[in-house]
Order: sequence, then structure tokens, then C-alpha cells
Amino acid sequence: MVTIHFLPDDKRATVPKGSTILEAARTAGVTIDSPCNGAVVCGKCAVTLASEDLERVVEKGAHQLPAGERARGQVLACAAEVYGNITVVVDDAPSLRSFKIASHGEAAVVDLAPHIVKEYLSDLGVTRVLGGGALLTEEEGDTAGESYGVVVDIGTTTLVVALVDLVSGTQLATASALNPQSRHAQDVLSRIKMGSEGRGLAELRRGVIGEINALIDQVAGASGVSRSRIYEVIFSGNTCMLHLAAGVDPAPLGRYPYTSALTCAAWLPAQATGIDIAHGGLVYLPPIISGYIGADITAGLQAVRLHENKETVLFVDIGTNGEMALCRDGKIWATSTAAGPAFEGMNIRFGMRAGEGAIERCSVHPDGSLEIRTIAGTEAVGICGSGLMDIVAELVAHGVVGKNGKFVKPDSAGIPEKLAERLVERDGKPAFLLTDKVWLTQKDVRQVQLAKGAIRAGVEFLLHEASVPVAELQQVLIAGSFGYHLTAESLTTIGLLPAETSGRIGFVGNTAKSGGEAFLLNAVSREEMRDLVEQVQVVELANCKDFDKVFVEALSF
Amino acid sequence: MSQIEQELFQRLSDAVVDMDEDEAVAAANEVVERGIDAYRAIELGLSAGMERAGQLFDEEEYFIPELLMCSDAMYAGMDVLKPHLRSDGVSEKHKVVIGVVEGDTHDIGKNLVKIMLETSGFDVTDLGRDIPPARFVETAKEIGANIIALSTLMTTTMEGMGAVVRQLSEEGIRDRFKVIVGGGPISQGFADRIGADGYAVNAADAIRLARSLVAPAEAAA
Repeated sequence: MVTIHFLPDDKRATVPKGSTILEAARTAGVTIDSPCNGAVVCGKCAVTLASEDLERVVEKGAHQLPAGERARGQVLACAAEVYGNITVVVDDAPSLRSFKIASHGEAAVVDLAPHIVKEYLSDLGVTRVLGGGALLTEEEGDTAGESYGVVVDIGTTTLVVALVDLVSGTQLATASALNPQSRHAQDVLSRIKMGSEGRGLAELRRGVIGEINALIDQVAGASGVSRSRIYEVIFSGNTCMLHLAAGVDPAPLGRYPYTSALTCAAWLPAQATGIDIAHGGLVYLPPIISGYIGADITAGLQAVRLHENKETVLFVDIGTNGEMALCRDGKIWATSTAAGPAFEGMNIRFGMRAGEGAIERCSVHPDGSLEIRTIAGTEAVGICGSGLMDIVAELVAHGVVGKNGKFVKPDSAGIPEKLAERLVERDGKPAFLLTDKVWLTQKDVRQVQLAKGAIRAGVEFLLHEASVPVAELQQVLIAGSFGYHLTAESLTTIGLLPAETSGRIGFVGNTAKSGGEAFLLNAVSREEMRDLVEQVQVVELANCKDFDKVFVEALSF
Repeated sequence: MSQIEQELFQRLSDAVVDMDEDEAVAAANEVVERGIDAYRAIELGLSAGMERAGQLFDEEEYFIPELLMCSDAMYAGMDVLKPHLRSDGVSEKHKVVIGVVEGDTHDIGKNLVKIMLETSGFDVTDLGRDIPPARFVETAKEIGANIIALSTLMTTTMEGMGAVVRQLSEEGIRDRFKVIVGGGPISQGFADRIGADGYAVNAADAIRLARSLVAPAEAAA
């Protein structure tokens, strides 16, 4: 056995020789950001050892940290096996609340007809709380004026909670945080894998429910609302997140044919889910379309009333999984595509979440000088998803990156000198300097190509299945809080969307939340969506002929 | 090698690297007209070109589309040369069974490796996707494969690779086959953990790996 001392927490774990630092940290209850759940892929779980301790660990696998960082005593916690007593310094993880998360979402106006209805019976002096006509609870006195509900957008990365007054129909407060599950497993598949084991499922569930309760506390406190007057909580989110929050084994989602094991368009007693609201309160799981087209999309369709749109409209939620729906003449086709985690900053040399110091905007002036904006305006320390899209789009637009995705040579014709001098070599490979300390590598550009190519291929197949020529596409609605930070120009320049859609692209924000609010305020809309999802044509890209070919074509800029 | 041969082989190789199908066909036709050995033209011309393309991919000069266009040029040249292969002069090819493991249907990466293996002179049996461990083992036994190549994009299905290795061990035939693994969530660490013979980070790397694994067998023969 060996003992590992974790600083600054001052916690110790005694584990068998050959255990990894990450395993020991979990035993000791120390949190190390490990987005890929220890698959030795993301390179984000670096910790620091004293130089004399370095010889007591063996890093298995191809480790990804540059030689310089190793020399400073950094190792990947998931790859470093421990063979002697060591001390490990864990960098402070940024607080779960310090990230930039958009909570605004557009939504069509709905009639006020909530599932929850309160009625005061003056003869008995009590107020009855009814859910869909069934009695949930009774309260002393007349409390009919105090009726509240909550929408939770359970994103893979972020949580957004909104408190809604069910009497007036207004939103009172919102709060957001990182989904604590992302510290153990960044992407949906790692989450499914972890959640497929009983202990993992319990831990993931506990983490997310705990954070949702904390956020509900926060919005209720800010609005002076008692938790005991909150009667219904809508869980909006992708199919996997709903499984985990409801404590249902997500394993079937991780294997072909990727089916959902969850009963949706249904209620759970809030108490059973661990959500702390009024006695007898409910959690509603909205209808889903398929294993990879979840309640977030159903809510989105509700928010923009896609099926009622007279125009031919494409609705796209850009994220690790690009989920999308196309509507023509009231008929809907939907698909999802594995974009990979590049948009989350994973697999990107200087990729990071949208926290302080992340480059979020980038533009090139006519003279070739670069304008870079970081979150909080501090010194650039990395690149977040929106910054990445901007940077690549600008480099493509100015010929620094060719149509084939390759950095051009610095002496190529037509490249402004100020841009050319940023084309350098780092670690022996071509790179583009954004600042002295942050650069974009050729491999980063390749990751963007793969991510946007996957979404573009999905778009092409939806258009094909619905027999809609791109010229007839009248609107493209970009949903999701990540999409909200993007620009139409970037999307068409990098070819995530066809160039022809330029001028027809709109950003609708977090419709998973705003559509969830519509569900909360109007019970009929739930029925309507439940019927609608039955009619959606799901396009399974894995079974599409020529998917390879279309994907490869979509890789070019 | 005569100068003419050398020039033609170079033209074939360049045609592949330059993604020029027409030139590959033209050079291949000239090989046939001059009665030059088709097998050597494939080995020293087309395959050598694919090797250079793989190198460029490794150096991040080329990406997936370029690699595929190179292989298009390679196949165009092959189509011309194949009918002229003398059956006696061709040495036995190394055999590979390839597929995507059970539960996963993402096969673009596997297809790319398959193309690269074929263009590098391997005889590839492609089982497709969503393949149970037993089928890999059965097929490998049936065709006398040298290598079993396993691919997956999904973290949730990667354990299927370990199941293939285990089944080989259980049947006492582990040492008859080399098992190589690759795909998005796979790493060298994972390959070591399940007892695979090698991990390749991309298609070009897979070729190097496959060659190095069959090389000792060749030396022994």
C-alpha cells in the first residue's frame, strides 16, 4: 500500500501500489477535474508533484503533457500510477458558479393553464393543490395566490434553473451552475458508462440533484418564495441527463440501437427523486423523440412552435451532440450527430470552458491585426468554444487556413504580414499565435473540422430526407446556450451551415429552458408535444447510405 | 531496376500523393504496355505513394479527405494493374480481420483503416459494425488471420475489445493472432490494460503498427 497526501485539501488516501492518482483522489474525496473520466484522452487532469516524488509514479499510456510541463512536475492524474508515498498538489478547480452560461431563451406565448391548480375551499378553510385534477396536498388557510413551479435545464455541462409564478405566469428568477457530473465525466458517453454501474449512477444522481436543490434554494431565496409553495419541477434536458437525474440505468443509450429506458411524458413524485419542494410535489419528464433527441429538443420545438411555422425551418442545437429538426408543411424530421467535444474545448490544445480568461471573440482587422476579447477581459489563458469557432472562421476568411483546413505557409501570397508573422512552429508543428502564451494548433483546426463536419452532414441528410433543396430553407434557428454565443458569419464561413443560409440564421437561445416554462404554464402543450413526437420522422444517420461520403465532403471549409 | 521502371514507379507514387487519378491510370497503362512487372509497380509505386500520403497525414499536412483522394488514385491505378498480376509471383498477403465492436455503429474510422491496410498490401476481411466478440474470433480462425483489428468511437462499447482478447486466451489461441485497437476513446493505456498487442492513434499509425507486428513473423519464416 502507498499513501498519497493531497494538498491544499490536506487529505490522505492509502491505496494499493499501482493505483492511479485519480483513483486515490476519489477514495480520499478530493475532486480533480477529469472530464474524460480517466480514459487518458483529454489531458485536463494535470496535478503537480514535488520533483523527488516524480520517480515514485509511472505514467502509463501515451501521456499528453508537453515535456516542459512534465519538467515542472506535472503529471496526468488518471495516467500516473503510484509506487511510493507522495504528495500531490491539486490546482483549485474554478467554482461551479463562475462560468458564463446563457439562460435567455425565446419562447412563443402560451395561455396560462398550468398542470398545478390551487383552490381555496372557504367552508373548510383549506386550500387544495391539484395536479391535473388529482389532489396533491392540502394547506391550511387561503394560499391560492402562492403557486410556483421550476424549470431545470439539465445540460451535459451546465444547469439552469428558473422559478416561475404559476398564478401570474412570470419568471421570477434564474440561476445557473456547472453540472457537477461533468467533473467526473465530461461527455454523454462517459456519463452513460459511469451511470451503468450502480455506484456510479448513485453518485451522478446525487451530484446533479444536490446542485439542482441548491439552485432552487437560490432562486426561491432571491424571490422570497418558500420551497413548500413550489409544486412542480420540469426536467428539461437530453435523454441521458433525464435518465441520470431520475436514477434510471442509462446503459441502453450507450449501445446500438441506442434506445431509451425511461418513461417520458410522465410524472414522478418529487420526493422520490430527491428534489426538495412542497410535500406531494411532482417532477415532470417531458416527451422525448429518441435516445439522442431528448426533452431539450422537444422543449425547443415547443418554444419556437416549429410545427406551426408556415415556412421551411431548420432547428439546430449545437453541442457535443448536434441535435436538429427540420419542419416543412407541419411535418418534422429529426436527427442527432456526434460532433465530439471540440466545442466544449476538449481535445483542443488551449481549450477551456467559458470561464475567466477564455478567448470568446476574435476578429481580424483589415490591416491584419488581431482583436481578441476574453471573458472578464483578463489576460488570455485559453480558448472556449465560441472563441474557437470565431478564430477558425476568421483564419479561413483571411486565407490563413485553406479550404482543406491546412495552415498556409507564412510566405503565401495575399496573407497580411501581421497575420503571417503569427504562423509559427510550436512543439515542431505549425501553429497560429493568438498571444504569446496561447496558440491554435493544426490539430485543433482538424478537431473543428470533424465537429462541424458531423453537424453539417446531419443537416445535409435532414434536407435530403425531407426533399428540401437548401435554397428553399427559409429559416435556420440556432438553439442552445452555446449557440447563443456564436455568430451567423462564423457558422457559414466554417461551413457548419450551408453558405446559402446566410441572412436567414436566427439565434433563439436556451429553448430547453424557455420551452420547459411553456410546459410548466400550459398543460395542454405537453399533450400536444407528446402527440407530435409520435409523428416525428427520426433519421438514423448510422443507417444512411453514403454517410461517410457526405461527412468527408463536409470536412472542407 | 531500370531507369524507365524507376521513373514509372515514381510517377505512380507521385500520382497517389498528388491525388491524381488520371495520372495514376496513365502511368499504370504505361507499366502494362512496357511489360513491367505489375506486382512491383504496385509495391514500389502505388503502395509507396500511399505510404508517403500516410506520412503527410501524420505530419498534419494531409487530412481525411486528402487521404481518401490519395486512395482513390491508388485504386484507379490498381484496377489497371491487377489483371496483369502473375499469380505465381505474388507472395502470400498478411490477413487482417477488421470491424467495429458490438454496440457501436460508427464506422468511418474503421473504413479509413481498412482502406489504408488494403492499399498497404494487406488482405482485409471487413466484418462491418456492431460485431460480437465471438465473430471476430471465429472469422480470424477461419481465414487464418494474422491480425484482428478492433475499432470503436464509443466509451460505452470499448470493453468489447477486452472481451475479444479474453476469448482468444480462453480458447488457448491468444498467441496465434495480434490484436490491435483504435478509435476515439481508446488509448495506449487502455490497450495495455486489456492486453492488446498495439494501439494506433490514426489510420497512418495503424499501418505502421500492423507492419511492425507481422515483421517478426516474416523474419522467422
